[in-house]
Amino acid sequence: MTPHIIEIGPLQLALCLGFVLLAGATSFAHRLGLGRDLAVGTVRTFAQLFLMGYVLKFVFEVRISWLVLSMFIVMVAAAVHTIRGRVKERTVSFAVPVFLSMLVSYSLVSMVVTGVIVGAKPWWTPQYFIPLAGMIVGNSMTAISICLDRLFSDLRNRRNEVEMKLALGADYREASREILAGAMRAGMIPSINSLMAVGLVSLPGMMTGQILSGTDPLIAIRYQIVVMLMLVASTAMGSLIVTNLVRKRCFSQGQQLLLR
Amino acid sequence: MPLALERVSFAYPDGPAILKDADLVLETGGYHLLRGPSGAGKSTVLRLLCRLEEAQDGTISFKGSSIRDIPPAELRRSVAYVQQLPTLLPGTVRENLLMPFGFKANAPLTPPSDEDMAGRLSDFLLSGVTLDSRADKLSVGQAQRVCLIRSLLLSPEVVLLDEPTASLDAHSAGVVLDRARELCESGVTVVMISHSETVPEGVTRFIYIEKQGLVMA
Repeated sequence: MTPHIIEIGPLQLALCLGFVLLAGATSFAHRLGLGRDLAVGTVRTFAQLFLMGYVLKFVFEVRISWLVLSMFIVMVAAAVHTIRGRVKERTVSFAVPVFLSMLVSYSLVSMVVTGVIVGAKPWWTPQYFIPLAGMIVGNSMTAISICLDRLFSDLRNRRNEVEMKLALGADYREASREILAGAMRAGMIPSINSLMAVGLVSLPGMMTGQILSGTDPLIAIRYQIVVMLMLVASTAMGSLIVTNLVRKRCFSQGQQLLLR
Repeated sequence: MPLALERVSFAYPDGPAILKDADLVLETGGYHLLRGPSGAGKSTVLRLLCRLEEAQDGTISFKGSSIRDIPPAELRRSVAYVQQLPTLLPGTVRENLLMPFGFKANAPLTPPSDEDMAGRLSDFLLSGVTLDSRADKLSVGQAQRVCLIRSLLLSPEVVLLDEPTASLDAHSAGVVLDRARELCESGVTVVMISHSETVPEGVTRFIYIEKQGLVMA
């Protein structure tokens, strides 16, 4: 199949603003008060994506390994910042362990996918590494937020049970084993559910993007399968490491639960 | 002198001081009743003694050693803390009684036999309860007694009871108080929080928590 890409020019982009005007009119008619957010959101979408487009174009052209890896680190740092915003717990600091575990586990998965499965040479080839790593970080960010939220809330809500076990001689791992498992399960379920729904309920964005840009659907689905499985693995790894590291911080050396 | 507090201070984060330079020496084999106004920190004192809370200042010692120098699991095996709200896990009474023996730190201990556990149930007048009974089907009174048995199976030297009779009917409360007295008679030190006006039979000491200090009478 010959790739045939229909380019979207400035005029077409300008026409798309009509969609925003439609949404704005709805907001105005029903006094939803969303006009300002809609305008800011539209401007940001244009600005952020154009900026990202130029950055990616530059990184793809210069092909410098440290630049690619720096981008990966920035993506992970941004994800940690988002997680900090979503998880309201402040008694226990979790940003550093989350950053380190995301960095280690996701770079490992990304390296295996680009270097071994896709077979890109070198493994950090930006056209492959950045989008794949970006998907891993983006997806796992949600999983880790869910994991941490569940871990903190269960440790608080089931404090009596945890302290009962501590009082009977358990260490913090034994006292919170079920809570840890529950938190990990909660984080992993969405990515497992998406394995069931993909192709039936939803057409994933990456695959759709590839098809729109002229890739043979049979090639696109293979990439999508790799992505889906890689996301399950990275979610599992991220949840496992993050919950274990953060759980440890919820207890003192004297095996006391620090969350109140 | 099983447990002693020396110039102990404690406050919860962003909360008022509960204890300030408090001293206390428990009597070996004594039956201590801990009293004080609501919110004064009675439960906190028990939690400090088994190190579920950490004192900010001062020393708490168990048999002459600071409790900070004793591995937490070892301390808590000797100084049993029974919570006010009985907490049992889903499963049978047997599984709940044997749960502590599954913890790494308790591995050297020999788990009790069915006969031993059944004997304890009958000691606590839990006649309708068997080892195969579902823990979630027990009444609060029955659950509280099962929790107490679970702690006693570890053969503690000190037992800390946080209002053990607060939510119990007269019959269950009487059984718990009788067993507490018998524990003291066998040399175990008991510290019990109670709001009840009546003084349980056998109490040897009163500890009052007042003005952020502990007074023994």
